Amino acid sequence: MTETMDISDYLAQGGRLTNPANVPSRYRAELMKIMATFVDSELAGAAGFADVINAGPGIKERIAAARIVLEKTDNADKVLKIMGEFGANTDRYVDHHPWTDRLPRDTAPGASRNAHDMRLSVLNYPLAGWTDAVVMNLLMGLAVGVQLSEFLSSSYQPFAEAIREAAPREKRHTELAAEGVERLIRQGKTNAVKQSVAYWWPRVSESFGTGVSPRSDALKAMGLRSKSNAELHDAWTGLASAALEKLGLERPATLA
Amino acid sequence: MARFHPLSVTDVTKTIRDAVVVTLKPVNGGDFDFIQGQYLTFRQNFDGTEVRRSYSICAGKDDGVLQVGIKKVEGGAFSTWANEALAPGMTIEAMEPMGSFHTPIDPQQAKNYLGFAGGSGITPVLSIMKTVLAREPRSTFTLVYANRGVNTIMFREELEDLKNLHMGRLTVVHVLESDAQDIDLFTGRVDAGKCKALFEHWIDIDSVDTSFICGPEPMMLGIAAALREHGLTDDQIKFELFASAQPGRLKRKASSAANGVAAKSTEATITMDGSARSFTMNKDQSVLDAALENALDAPYACKAGVCSTCKCKLLEGEVEMLANHALEDYEVAQGYVLSCQSYPLTDRVVVDFDQ
Repeated sequence: MTETMDISDYLAQGGRLTNPANVPSRYRAELMKIMATFVDSELAGAAGFADVINAGPGIKERIAAARIVLEKTDNADKVLKIMGEFGANTDRYVDHHPWTDRLPRDTAPGASRNAHDMRLSVLNYPLAGWTDAVVMNLLMGLAVGVQLSEFLSSSYQPFAEAIREAAPREKRHTELAAEGVERLIRQGKTNAVKQSVAYWWPRVSESFGTGVSPRSDALKAMGLRSKSNAELHDAWTGLASAALEKLGLERPATLA
Repeated sequence: MARFHPLSVTDVTKTIRDAVVVTLKPVNGGDFDFIQGQYLTFRQNFDGTEVRRSYSICAGKDDGVLQVGIKKVEGGAFSTWANEALAPGMTIEAMEPMGSFHTPIDPQQAKNYLGFAGGSGITPVLSIMKTVLAREPRSTFTLVYANRGVNTIMFREELEDLKNLHMGRLTVVHVLESDAQDIDLFTGRVDAGKCKALFEHWIDIDSVDTSFICGPEPMMLGIAAALREHGLTDDQIKFELFASAQPGRLKRKASSAANGVAAKSTEATITMDGSARSFTMNKDQSVLDAALENALDAPYACKAGVCSTCKCKLLEGEVEMLANHALEDYEVAQGYVLSCQSYPLTDRVVVDFDQ
């Protein structure tokens, strides 16, 4: 049983890779990029949320916010461990980046990544208080759900397994956000919610990336992605519109 | 961070003509308390070139030893050395156990496991099997073990002993490619068609909770396809691709050797924390690795051209940057490079980590 096949054929046919030793260099670079984006986004997201824990109007809200910070950090840890198996210096990785860094609030949507981390662009914008944080968490949470669904069947098995653990927790964070927005609306803060929706919608929308990436086919062939950015974006638009509708809100009219 | 620890070789036993089981003992430090199904990554120098190879642990959790199985691969520097030269008393370097080819053990659960192994792919499956049978008294294990012929079956006697020890809970199906057996079903290759036939006549696939597959690529694809067709989901199928196609570390060497006349080494000067150090480095080595090897505390994190922690400025000479996912064009124009991805092209390079 020594018969082997080309690793790219193996991947194109749905094969799984399981450890750094049998990963080709191109694949490794793309996988590291995907994992770094996940880790940086989770760490930046957790860091942003840590700042609003004390803005929570009640004890339940603060517990929810603290839990989100804890679990997002833990999700980052799971994937960072995998990066560590590829030789990443995990201790230095976490300390190296200023995860709380944000751009000025009025920066236009789609601004490119700041400094030198790989977080999704939406995480470069600052949260403006509790209501804003909850709305951002709802819209972004739905986006994360869509994006993670891509990785559940990643051809790098340890990464797919880490995402299978992370995805249900992220889903719960989104549910907490939906409950939070509902409460804010009941409390008569509809206008503030609407303002935050108008602010975050285009910024979350931009985080899916634009146009057709020439790397898209290559990533598909490697089994690291299965859908295009546009397909993921459409899925999110549908989910987010429905979530807002359920809350008696509309998606911002003129925006992407 | 992953680093190497010395292990002393306490025993080397041949299992078949071209495979050995190596027993190891940590010398000073490192957490080698493995999980069943994990592997060790070794490094060894051959003619000045470092070769890293990963081999699965074949011992069960309760065996009280750390053992890996190493099958000789045609032309494989490491496996040939392990089979021909490795002997008790020698010291070898390995990283702590890694890998996620396992599912949680729970003494209370009664699961039906189905393992597939091709040739030396038996090593991690054996570790899992021994551990599951010993620690989950209500679970069963069925092993489909593919080999060329009877004399290439690794751990054949050990498997027989295990069957006797765990009477009724372990089933082993040997499928041999070239040696005819009494039952036709057990002759040939293990592919999707063979699996289908096994599921019809021999294995109750509907009762299987978790499947482990370790073998060469085409075999794994065929088995996975058959398992999916019979209703198993991705999280029920665990793959371990064994080390047939290992990475291109030696490829660079081959290509640079082809350059012939050009010098293989570079005079490097590296400035860090205000002081400069000069040394000779190999052109097949990244600037970062050379710095680390020369006891410079160079910053790095991902080592894949992604995170930019290892950024430095090239002041003199030329390097080839293999991957760059972190630096902007203007930074590259200013002479910044990712040291983890940079290999010297000129006989002299000067870089500065402080800028």
